[in-house]
Amino acid sequence: METIHDIVYYYSQNGAYVWEQFYRHFLMSAYGVLFAAIVAIPLGIFIARHNKLSVWVISLANIVQTIPALAMLAVLMLVMGLGTNTVVFSLFLYSLLPIIKNTYTGIRNVDHALLESGKAMGMNKFQVLWMVELPMAMSVIMAGLRMALVITIGIATIGTFIGAGGLGDIILRGTNVTDGTPIILAGAIPTALMAVIADVVMGWLERKLSPIKKRKGSLKKNLREQAA
Amino acid sequence: MLKRKRLLITLLLALAVLMSGCSLPGLSGAADNTIKVGTMSTSESQIMGNIVRLMIEHYSDAKVEMVNNLGSSIVQHQAMMNGDIDISATRYTGTDLAGALAMDSVKDPEEALKIVQREFLKRFDQTWFDSYGFANSYAFTVTRELAGKENLKMVSDLEPLVSNLKLGVDNSWLKRKGDGYQGFVEEYGFEFGKTFPMQIGLVYEAAANGKMDVVLAYTTDGRIKANDLQVLEDDKHFFPPYDTSAVARNDVLEAHPELEGILQKLSGTISTEKMQELNYEADGKMKEPAIIAEEFLEENDYFETKK
Repeated sequence: METIHDIVYYYSQNGAYVWEQFYRHFLMSAYGVLFAAIVAIPLGIFIARHNKLSVWVISLANIVQTIPALAMLAVLMLVMGLGTNTVVFSLFLYSLLPIIKNTYTGIRNVDHALLESGKAMGMNKFQVLWMVELPMAMSVIMAGLRMALVITIGIATIGTFIGAGGLGDIILRGTNVTDGTPIILAGAIPTALMAVIADVVMGWLERKLSPIKKRKGSLKKNLREQAA
Repeated sequence: MLKRKRLLITLLLALAVLMSGCSLPGLSGAADNTIKVGTMSTSESQIMGNIVRLMIEHYSDAKVEMVNNLGSSIVQHQAMMNGDIDISATRYTGTDLAGALAMDSVKDPEEALKIVQREFLKRFDQTWFDSYGFANSYAFTVTRELAGKENLKMVSDLEPLVSNLKLGVDNSWLKRKGDGYQGFVEEYGFEFGKTFPMQIGLVYEAAANGKMDVVLAYTTDGRIKANDLQVLEDDKHFFPPYDTSAVARNDVLEAHPELEGILQKLSGTISTEKMQELNYEADGKMKEPAIIAEEFLEENDYFETKK
């Protein structure tokens, strides 16, 4: 009870600061995922076309994923120095795997019949990709982005160790102060909240973009119309 | 396959270097107009770092980026040399004499300041500014009550009482060479009745509760004030001075000519007592250093009237 009171007090004292760090934290994660999407989605499509490469690319991305975040930051720090850019770059690396994998899976799983009918309608390769494959795979790709964003929000917290700021700063300060529990929680709660919100929003987008769902909805409507 | 792997690693590194140069909207400004201020993880360092940041933002158009939580003075120094930061917010004369400069300690605060200013300019092409006005060193501390009763002002005043006094110190000080207990006994010529090593965080309350009569505290710790303790003057200058200053690289000062004047405005503005107060706001009252810095500067009108 005491702690909850302290947390509320902390927010009342430092609201503006917490919001600033919250925003900063989110931007770091979002940039990481954004850059990863720019690289990973085309790469995913490419390896879906050239299946032999897929083993190599995906296992490489897998290896990146196994590197502990703190070690990754330390190594990148040696090359890139301190600051936000280093954190954004490591978040970029961590986002690659989920996005590549999901893009690959999404594109590979598009029904062959649909591809064939697209071709039969006289679409060229690009049109098939743009009008058939991407819309069909979109929800799976979105699921990859969603996973990447949630991962990066968590990892961005340790960016504080190389001076990048973000909500990790608040948590680390809590560990340095006597009786810092409320401060630690005051940093950890918004981080968790951000991850949950990101998950919910991206999940909603994913459902919106899913072609299957749409079909189901219209099917229901059809049935209802038939029943009426 | 090995060739391809090598190519991939090279590509990744190239991308990394490329990215370290660019700036992301919302996170960092354009590299040539951004000043990076480095701080350590202590509240004191972060408060001072934010004061420096707000002063620069107040008086110039330059963007300031904070690089927080550097591990120690040595890490700050390396970050300065690598160009990761442009200004370090808190550097202590005693620490850097022994650390970055690897020289013997100097007892006189003004001489120590002169030496670091001269050597940093000569060896590293960095400007060591005049002290903010506070020093974070060791200090013998007693309750205000005891100080009043026995009329204690300086460490030497303890001598007649010393055989009955209990001294609480942090874990390392008793065995430390140079400015440890051994050196203290030689310098002042008396020994305490009993000594108790403990965690530094505990000494303040131990003194306040009367468990200890005298404790060795860190002078800018806010808990001195919170527990109503009184610092005794180190009249023989036994402890090396730890006057606190900002340090900046000269190429940055040249690129931003207004910077030197801004940092000079801060010299002599914060006494050790004031720093105790500010530290206590952070450690005892859960305020963030950024907020404390802002309030402090607004209270003082950003030192507009100071030349």
